[in-house]
Amino acid sequence: MPQARTRKPRVVIGVIGDDIHVVGNRIMQLALEESGCAVFNLRTRNRPDHFCQAALEVNADAIFVSSLNGEGEYWCADFRDRLHAMELGHVLLYAGGNLVVGDRPEAEVVKQFKSFGFDRVYHRRPDIGAAIADLFEDLAHGDAQRQRQVA
Amino acid sequence: MATPSASARLPNIDAQREQVLAHPLARGIDSADIVEFLAQLPRGRFPSAAYAERARVPLIQPRGGVPLFEEQLALTRALSEAGADFIPLTIDSCTRHNEYDTAAQLLKRSEEEGKSYLNGYPLVCHGHELTRELYVGLDKPVSLRHGTPDARLLAEVAIASGIVEIEGGGLCYCLPYSEGFPVDRCLLYWQYVDRVCALYSTPGRPVHRESFGPLSATLVPPAIVVAIEIIEALLAAEQGVLSFAVSFGQTGSLIQDVATARVLRRLAREYLDAYGFADVELHMGYHQWMGQFPMQRDRAAALIAGSALLAGMVGADKIIVKTVDEALGVPRREVNCEAVDMVRYVLQTFGTPESVDSRAIALEASLIESETRSIMQAVFALSGDMFWESVHRAFQLGYIDVPFSPHADNANKLTSMRDANRSIRIAEAGHVPISPDDASTERALLQSRPDRLEKTYRRMLSDIALMA
Repeated sequence: MPQARTRKPRVVIGVIGDDIHVVGNRIMQLALEESGCAVFNLRTRNRPDHFCQAALEVNADAIFVSSLNGEGEYWCADFRDRLHAMELGHVLLYAGGNLVVGDRPEAEVVKQFKSFGFDRVYHRRPDIGAAIADLFEDLAHGDAQRQRQVA
Repeated sequence: MATPSASARLPNIDAQREQVLAHPLARGIDSADIVEFLAQLPRGRFPSAAYAERARVPLIQPRGGVPLFEEQLALTRALSEAGADFIPLTIDSCTRHNEYDTAAQLLKRSEEEGKSYLNGYPLVCHGHELTRELYVGLDKPVSLRHGTPDARLLAEVAIASGIVEIEGGGLCYCLPYSEGFPVDRCLLYWQYVDRVCALYSTPGRPVHRESFGPLSATLVPPAIVVAIEIIEALLAAEQGVLSFAVSFGQTGSLIQDVATARVLRRLAREYLDAYGFADVELHMGYHQWMGQFPMQRDRAAALIAGSALLAGMVGADKIIVKTVDEALGVPRREVNCEAVDMVRYVLQTFGTPESVDSRAIALEASLIESETRSIMQAVFALSGDMFWESVHRAFQLGYIDVPFSPHADNANKLTSMRDANRSIRIAEAGHVPISPDDASTERALLQSRPDRLEKTYRRMLSDIALMA
């Protein structure tokens, strides 16, 4: 059901694993806020549960998971299942940064994360503007957009 | 109000040391034995001797730590042969977080599989007796490089191993390295380390302390760096440390590098002298670019060579070297040695000028100096019985605010950006107590930037990726 968007998009962001690299996270918060989103920043050292619980509590539209040291792959495999288990299947799920340990082709990494149920995947992209543009597009299309990509 | 004082020595140090050294991994360290051991080390193992003998060019220090003893030994020898003046011992992340059990498990796995499961040398697990073996016959100082908020046991084991340069400090090893370690505790634990360094110091053989000026290495305004370096020098001096190095990271602007070095060296000396610490020997380290490095190795090499030249220009006593593998992970041994050789080649080929000056440098230096003095004055004016308490209060109030610190209690009210000369400017001072005049000078200089109508995050991204 298409909805008229009367409030700011609510986005939970954070760095996954024991990664303490915080620079990208700070920039992402600023970029989303400047683009008109309400940001709930979990900062560094998070598990998937932390993101899901926060999404439930703040009624999030989307979760942005980031990883710089490559721990993302290890932690993200059952991310979408956890959201479904909490009846949060509608929440958009994005991943970005340096998502895997070692040097692997971007297409392979994107495929891997899509198989985990991520809607959008940005591996080693220098610009974060694309992710924000994609977010607004996905939100405009409502749940249908997400369902189509997951399927 | 609490100003630094030589009478502010940490009380109950003996009782505290007894607790720390009761840990099984201290392996029965006995101070009397260590005193004897330090007395028979070659004098060249002490940084003060290395600094006293240095020629016009800065001394060279690489970074390096691997889990296995044999590998660390090979790295130590290779770096020494490549011409390093200081030998590094970089510690793994588990040890930095005091997770010695995890470090021991991962060390065991590394030994069994001949593969690195740790990103450094787990010194506390290896212990002082084995670690001494790394440095038999070595006539150069060894430097402990880590990032540990509670380094009490680590520093005890390091000194017992003959490592008499200890990097760190209550602010510089907390704010860039920890999300939640309480800052007051960290300040106290580093007072302990400073006191132990002082207790082991003898005339001509002082255990040396060094602060880590790069901090988050991301758009940190020089005045914040200089203030933190002065604070840590004063805190160390209070505990009786007699040999100290302040440091800073390459800013990305030649003008700002020269100005920062000038103010840092002069003000650190001035504040030490003013509070009764004229006997503290002071040195200055320069860290090659600590931000995002280029992925392309030829560009990384150009950056390393260029910043070696800058280290000479700013009159650094020591340069801490990067490698062409920086953007890709922990450097290979050969690559690390090549970087040492490259820096040595540049320093020897081009030499160092007596001094460098221009109108822009003088203006920049006077702005950094004025801002630093304002911050220091405000810190001294805060309540507290001890200086470290005033420092803690200053952090809580956001007087000390480090951009891009992962620490949960960091104020994050200060925002910074680069101007048209690539110098780091304070866009919003937040609660950092600089004068209104200095704040408006900063903003005016920022106006020179051509892209100021763009979104803030885009400008920040390009500022951070400056060298990449």
